[in-house]
Amino acid sequence: MSASQSAVRSRAEAVKVSRTFDWMILFVMFFIVLGGYHIHYMLTGGDWDFWTDWKDRRLWVTVAPIVSITFPAAVQACAWYRYRLPFGAVVCVLGLLLGEWINRYLNFWGWTYFPVNFCFPSNLIPGAIVLDGILLLGGSMTLTAVVGGLAWGLLFYPGNWPIIAPLHVPVEYNGMMMTLADLQGYNYVRTGTPEYIRMVEKGTLRTFGKDVAPVSAFFSGFVSIIIYFLWHFFGRWFASTDFISGENL
Amino acid sequence: MAAISESVKADAAEAPLLNKKNMFAGAALYVVFYAWVRWYEGIYGWSAGLDSFAPEFETYWMNFLYIEMVAEIVVASVLWGYIWKTRDRKVLSITPREELRRHFTHWIWLVMYGIAVYYGASYFTEQDGTWHQTIVRDTDFTPSHIIEFYLAYPIYIITGVASLLYAKTRLPAYQQGLPLQYLVAVIGPFMILPNVGLNEWGHTFWFMEELFVAPLHYGFVFFGWATLGVLGIVNIEVASLSKLLKKDLA
Repeated sequence: MSASQSAVRSRAEAVKVSRTFDWMILFVMFFIVLGGYHIHYMLTGGDWDFWTDWKDRRLWVTVAPIVSITFPAAVQACAWYRYRLPFGAVVCVLGLLLGEWINRYLNFWGWTYFPVNFCFPSNLIPGAIVLDGILLLGGSMTLTAVVGGLAWGLLFYPGNWPIIAPLHVPVEYNGMMMTLADLQGYNYVRTGTPEYIRMVEKGTLRTFGKDVAPVSAFFSGFVSIIIYFLWHFFGRWFASTDFISGENL
Repeated sequence: MAAISESVKADAAEAPLLNKKNMFAGAALYVVFYAWVRWYEGIYGWSAGLDSFAPEFETYWMNFLYIEMVAEIVVASVLWGYIWKTRDRKVLSITPREELRRHFTHWIWLVMYGIAVYYGASYFTEQDGTWHQTIVRDTDFTPSHIIEFYLAYPIYIITGVASLLYAKTRLPAYQQGLPLQYLVAVIGPFMILPNVGLNEWGHTFWFMEELFVAPLHYGFVFFGWATLGVLGIVNIEVASLSKLLKKDLA
């Protein structure tokens, strides 16, 4: 190959080729990251994400942010540090939500007939915007981990509150006090129902009522900071361009 | 003038850099095929997929399993064999334009891999969650498993390996060795399939229906992380495309 030869015929063609690759790269990254992020999220926090009765004030608030900050941190580590693209977290979360919404409509409702207002996914968009915004404005991984990670945990519950609040209204049913979400679960018994009874809204803090959600969100933010650091370095490793020789296999 | 006419003729005869027809046909193939699969699940999941001891289960589900396994082995052998057999033995001496064309073809393969990973890891895996929260299984080969584990996963494995083979046999950028993150992005999700062995063993041994986030499923999570190897692939590609286009874009 001659170094003087050109791959394109004109500057216009070079620009067109470059733009076409941009779109193809975005498409491929979006769907492959969607697949990986979704299988990770559904198998580490899925039960809390699937059903409204699991979306309680304690474990949902604790678990969902901790397990969901992973892929955004890793993709930011590549998108920002290599290309100065400040949308790694939002792209991940949009992918995850697309995968989840398609599933909840076509499969949870379309195949097994759970109503969509019982199995809609959690909203992660506010935390993702803040995570990307802090990285864009601060340009620092440490700042993003500490401030962004904490915000990721703290914003989760308020970000979902307008959606979940109507289902946390108390109702009395057969002499029992429960939430509307609990009543939904009571009417749609699943194989996970026994575990729900064992895990959802248990613990001594619950006795004191209103403090459960903020305490859980604060704890979640703390762990999210640590997970962000860890996954940032995972992201850097995954973004490496090393080659190995066949002898090493 | 004659020289210009020759050049114009040559351009017209030349294959396009990006064969959009192939790309959209490939994408349509996956989408239409999986739409048909979803229709089949909807009809025969409820009517023939609830009791594995029923004769209709054998007819509609076990036969589906046998057919898909044979088809996958045949497709994988033919496709991988073809890509390897037709490899370019003088890959380092191709022209920059041919290299660019091959990068586009490589990205068509990656687009197919993206679609296949979406269906395997997202669509059919979460679908399995809702099926097993609804139907208590009496076999490892449930309708959702027959589609998820033994159809959607092999399809993304076949596509991913084909993509890697294409890059390795036709692109100069991949001649300096084996691209680590490409191997991670293809072999990691591949390992989800052998991990099905652990999954089915665990489901057979314990009653594991109650929690989708049960530790038994963490093998899928770990190997799912490997999809992030796509970041490394993108970086290798961007570096080699920059080399090809840099002076024209400057």
